[in-house]
Amino acid sequence: MYRLALNMLFGDRAKLAMLLCGLAFSALLMAQQSSVFFGIMSWTYTPMVNIRAQVWVSDPMVEQVNDAKPLRDTDLGRVRSVDGVAWAAPLHTSFVQARMQDGNFKLITLVGIDADTFAGAPAVLSQGRIEDLRLPDTVIVDEWGAALMGRMGVGPDGKPRNTPLQVGDTFEINDIQARIVGICRVKRAFTGGPFVYTTYDRAKGYTLGARRTLSFMLVEPQKGVAPAELCDRIERDTGLKAWTSDTVIWNWGERSLARNTFWWFWTNTGIPFSFGTAVLLGLFVGIAISGQTFYSFVLENLKYFAAIKAMGAGMGVIARMLFVQAFTAGLIGFGLGAGMAQAIGRVMIEKGMPPFVMYPQILWATFALVLGISFVSAVIGIVKVSRVDAASVFRG
Amino acid sequence: MSHLAHTVAVRASGVDMFFGTPENRVVALKQAGFEARRGELIMLVGPSGCGKTTLLSVIAGTLTPQAGAVEVFGQRLDGLGQEALTTFRRKNLGFVFQSFNLIPTLTVAENVMVPLLIQGRPFDEAHERALAIIEKVGLKGREEGRPNALSGGQQQRVAIARALVHEPPLLICDEPTSALDKDTGAQIMQMVRDLSRSPERCVVVVTHDHRIFRFADRIAEMEDGRISRVVDDPKLLDTTHL
Ligand SMILES: Nc1ncnc2c1ncn2[C@@H]1O[C@H](COP(=O)(O)OP(=O)(O)OP(=O)(O)O)[C@@H](O)[C@H]1O
Ligand SMILES: [Mg+2]
Repeated sequence: MYRLALNMLFGDRAKLAMLLCGLAFSALLMAQQSSVFFGIMSWTYTPMVNIRAQVWVSDPMVEQVNDAKPLRDTDLGRVRSVDGVAWAAPLHTSFVQARMQDGNFKLITLVGIDADTFAGAPAVLSQGRIEDLRLPDTVIVDEWGAALMGRMGVGPDGKPRNTPLQVGDTFEINDIQARIVGICRVKRAFTGGPFVYTTYDRAKGYTLGARRTLSFMLVEPQKGVAPAELCDRIERDTGLKAWTSDTVIWNWGERSLARNTFWWFWTNTGIPFSFGTAVLLGLFVGIAISGQTFYSFVLENLKYFAAIKAMGAGMGVIARMLFVQAFTAGLIGFGLGAGMAQAIGRVMIEKGMPPFVMYPQILWATFALVLGISFVSAVIGIVKVSRVDAASVFRG
Repeated sequence: MSHLAHTVAVRASGVDMFFGTPENRVVALKQAGFEARRGELIMLVGPSGCGKTTLLSVIAGTLTPQAGAVEVFGQRLDGLGQEALTTFRRKNLGFVFQSFNLIPTLTVAENVMVPLLIQGRPFDEAHERALAIIEKVGLKGREEGRPNALSGGQQQRVAIARALVHEPPLLICDEPTSALDKDTGAQIMQMVRDLSRSPERCVVVVTHDHRIFRFADRIAEMEDGRISRVVDDPKLLDTTHL
């Protein structure tokens, strides 16, 4: 009987197409919007990915990584003396205007790292060497930033150049020259600006006005000391705030600065609301279109269901037929929608805009919601069929 | 008496059936009594609204009357719950409807298989039996087509195949020919007679159509919710009011 139930569904091409469109559109919207949401949210803690250290220490008032509150230089010594600290290095991060070759300004993320340890240095350099940062007036720029700033560059002939900046090219930060000695590959940030790495001391010079320049301290625990445990000790001994640097969304610990940044954006911005609205919209559109279409499918077949009832099929059999029909449509609709979301996502990842991270969890959740839509549709149909009595077959 | 018990297929007595609210009540059956025997084709005739379809529904176990006793093949239907009635219909009944009621999105063969699949028969067995009976109703070659591609008479033949594929002891037909022209109606009745003939089977046909009365073994005439008389020969009926 279930095979016939499927044939009934597939026999009505127009309704099936409509049903699948509704379900696929709903799955697409939910999966795609969630993926962009998590993509954007992952950008909020980009510094945690690009600047690598096991433990971060900040001012006690700091709530998230993009909002540094300067520390005193003497704090470095206090942290170094905490039991279990192997070493601690200063880190400067700030947003500053850089003056490009064409005279226009561009907001950049300036990262000053310790010149002795290079703690926090980018993991991958596609051009140049990290050690060259010890040369005067030098910086390392990320690939995407180099391309962006290249559009504001000027060629030897004085005309605009459209090629990315290279090792050897220069620009200015607060009237001080910045000469590129390396190009690195890092993750893009929420704030959108290029990442420009330099040494901690030179960062001081680039931000001349600033009285204090120590944004964070990067700390390496001694062997055998767990980062979270070291965080406790640092907080107890210095009164500063200490964070772990885990960035894996489903596994990050309580103390992760990335996690706290994620939740800070969750509670303090409209991002979850606007994406949540889009996902809900997908859900409602799914319920509306699919529920409606499935309902009209059931209505159209109502007298046949009544006849099947009269011929001796119990409501149990009919309910299972409707579930088979609704869930089959749900399964195919989900497949189509998720497939489209993945295809669109591939294009987005290639272009880098907008950010797109389709975690398996997103697919599972979408799958569950689509099955939920199917379930609701089937139940509405079952209620309808259960209300028609078998005697009605002789009428009309 | 024991001989009679053996031959009686359907016996209803004192059946009352009302519709609507107590203030606004429509009486469909009023102390109706009815009897049909194994091996016969009995027709239920009478003016529109006299309760033919209602009585048929009571016998088929799709309607439960407010009063009266209904017995089909020795089984009492009054007092049975919905589930038991469903099981009863599944085992004992074949239906032919005025409007065919074939599922348009299924093939002819699939439509005919429905009663067997409801009984839980394997798909392949059901398919085979469906093909065999489709051949008997003269529609070989049309098995995989859709019912809508067939003429009315052909569709009713599919319905007859569906009604008989599981060899039910009781065949119930409500106005089987009224959607068909005269000649086709006669052919359909001939087919019902030929295919359903069996010493064990009872066929009850509700009809308005006096042109098919000749196919009946007996004719029960209804009036105002009860059987007024039963005749063996259609010529004895006054058909002017039908
Ligand atoms: N479900 C129902 N609700 C209300 N009234 C009903 C219902 N079914 C039948 N009736 C009424 O019961 C009476 C008998 O109806 P029934 O359908 O049995 O007549 P019939 O002899 O089959 O008529 P026809 O020849 O027109 O098919 C009619 O007055 C009809 O209006
Ligand atoms: Mg009727």
